[in-house]
Amino acid sequence: MTTVIPSTDQLDALVRQVPGVDALYPARSIVATVLSTALDAVAHHAPAAPLVHTVAQSDGVRVTAKIGIGAAESSADVSGRVHDAIAEHLRQVGNPTVAQIAVIVARIG
Amino acid sequence: MTELTPANRRFLAFDLDDTEREQFGLNGHTIEQLSDYLDRDRMPADPSIDDSPECEIALRGLERLRRAQRLLLKLDLERESRRDDSWVSAILDNITLEAHAGRDIPLTHPVPTARLVVTEGAVRGILRESGDRMQNVLVGRCVLVGDVNVPGTPIVIEVDVTVFPGENIPLLADQLRQAMYAALGKYTELVVAAIDITVSDLQALPDASAQEKEH
Repeated sequence: MTTVIPSTDQLDALVRQVPGVDALYPARSIVATVLSTALDAVAHHAPAAPLVHTVAQSDGVRVTAKIGIGAAESSADVSGRVHDAIAEHLRQVGNPTVAQIAVIVARIG
Repeated sequence: MTELTPANRRFLAFDLDDTEREQFGLNGHTIEQLSDYLDRDRMPADPSIDDSPECEIALRGLERLRRAQRLLLKLDLERESRRDDSWVSAILDNITLEAHAGRDIPLTHPVPTARLVVTEGAVRGILRESGDRMQNVLVGRCVLVGDVNVPGTPIVIEVDVTVFPGENIPLLADQLRQAMYAALGKYTELVVAAIDITVSDLQALPDASAQEKEH
């Protein structure tokens, strides 16, 4: 069982501000997003649509960000900056154990 | 996210018909729907298209293909009676297939909990763009052959191109290869053993004397 971390909306804004990032896409699969939206509707929850996906698991926090980058910069540089920004944010908000920070460059240019 | 698709297979291990396969790769849309969206100048905005990197890659490919078609119209090649436009369909098919995210290509980072990747679809998109940016050439098919998800493993890029009139093909192939090497070096850490370029379509100017005889 996983728990969704509430600071996801902050991560969306944070990632968008990283130099070289020119798009932020939903990190979860379409199927997961559709299922979640349907479940939210059944449970009468306000639908949450965070783009950066964050969950807490037994081994620590797992974050996934899917980005598009400008053609001027390298994938490794931009994705590294996104990783570092997320890691710093997690440290500042008191998430001590990071299991994984995944950054997916899904579009270039 | 990671898909262990053999490099020389397209992307799905289970059986789907063409439309289902296309929709799977384009966030539920077909290439025709994306083409209509371009016709409408992307209005009204559709988040299911705008928020999909696969759709964005396909839309850019479509835009470049349309520019090439307009160029052909300008050259008056469209009136050539024996003209075969199957190359346009072939490129459209490949844009659809190759926009799919595909495999994850790792990028290194010193922190062990970091997992940085660039998708195969993003790399194919930028390789296609590198070719399409050159004059008188359009990339048809672009395949990354080898274990792209295993760092350090040499891979081969196979590219089919359509060439338009007025080009020295060996020189063009060299320029295209250099542009692709530069893009791969900038956006990936792949070890590229070779970039094999095949000119699969040669679009010749209409034979003027034959046209005169027709009139």
